[in-house]
Amino acid sequence: MAVDVRISDGPLGPHHADAPLPGGGAAVVFEGIVRDSENGEPIEGLHYEAYEPMAQRQMHAIADDLVQRLGLLRISVEHSRGFVPVGGCSFRLVIIAAHRREAIDAMDRFIDRLKQDAPIWKRAEPSP
Amino acid sequence: MDVAVLLFGPAAAAAGSSMVTVRTGTNPTVGSLAPLLCDACPAIAPMLPSLRFALNGEFAHPEAIVRQGDEVALIGLVSGG
Repeated sequence: MAVDVRISDGPLGPHHADAPLPGGGAAVVFEGIVRDSENGEPIEGLHYEAYEPMAQRQMHAIADDLVQRLGLLRISVEHSRGFVPVGGCSFRLVIIAAHRREAIDAMDRFIDRLKQDAPIWKRAEPSP
Repeated sequence: MDVAVLLFGPAAAAAGSSMVTVRTGTNPTVGSLAPLLCDACPAIAPMLPSLRFALNGEFAHPEAIVRQGDEVALIGLVSGG
């Protein structure tokens, strides 16, 4: 399967690299980490809310389109729902391609489209 | 007919609810729901320019028809990733 999308509760666990794919020459991994402040104010973490299954379908559609358009070998996406404390990983995108250029290009494109079209929201939990 | 519109994120916070129900004619268009929502919940009116509707889990054009039993959601500015 060229595209894998998952939404799960809480912070994401550590990344474990998959076995190399035939033809794969580039693997780019991006992890979104919850910062310790939001708009200049200290926070405890972020609450993520997703409208499912639309959020999952939107991310799948974006990934499918990029796989076709850029000739990628695989896109794996993981996104948190619920609370993720500061320092936790809430988003992971792994892109496998034959070459570096299309993998890095796809990374930016995916995240830009995710932030436009995937119905997922975050809300900061302020520090006491 | 009564159309229940799901709200999320900042829109739900502004409305103080995750759902607003509006009364419409039979099989309204998605676009016709916006002013009804503003009447029912004025707090979300300032957000309207950045809001899109989803119909049964897909972004919908304003001309799309809402039928009894459809799931309608208001998708505001998203912030995932």
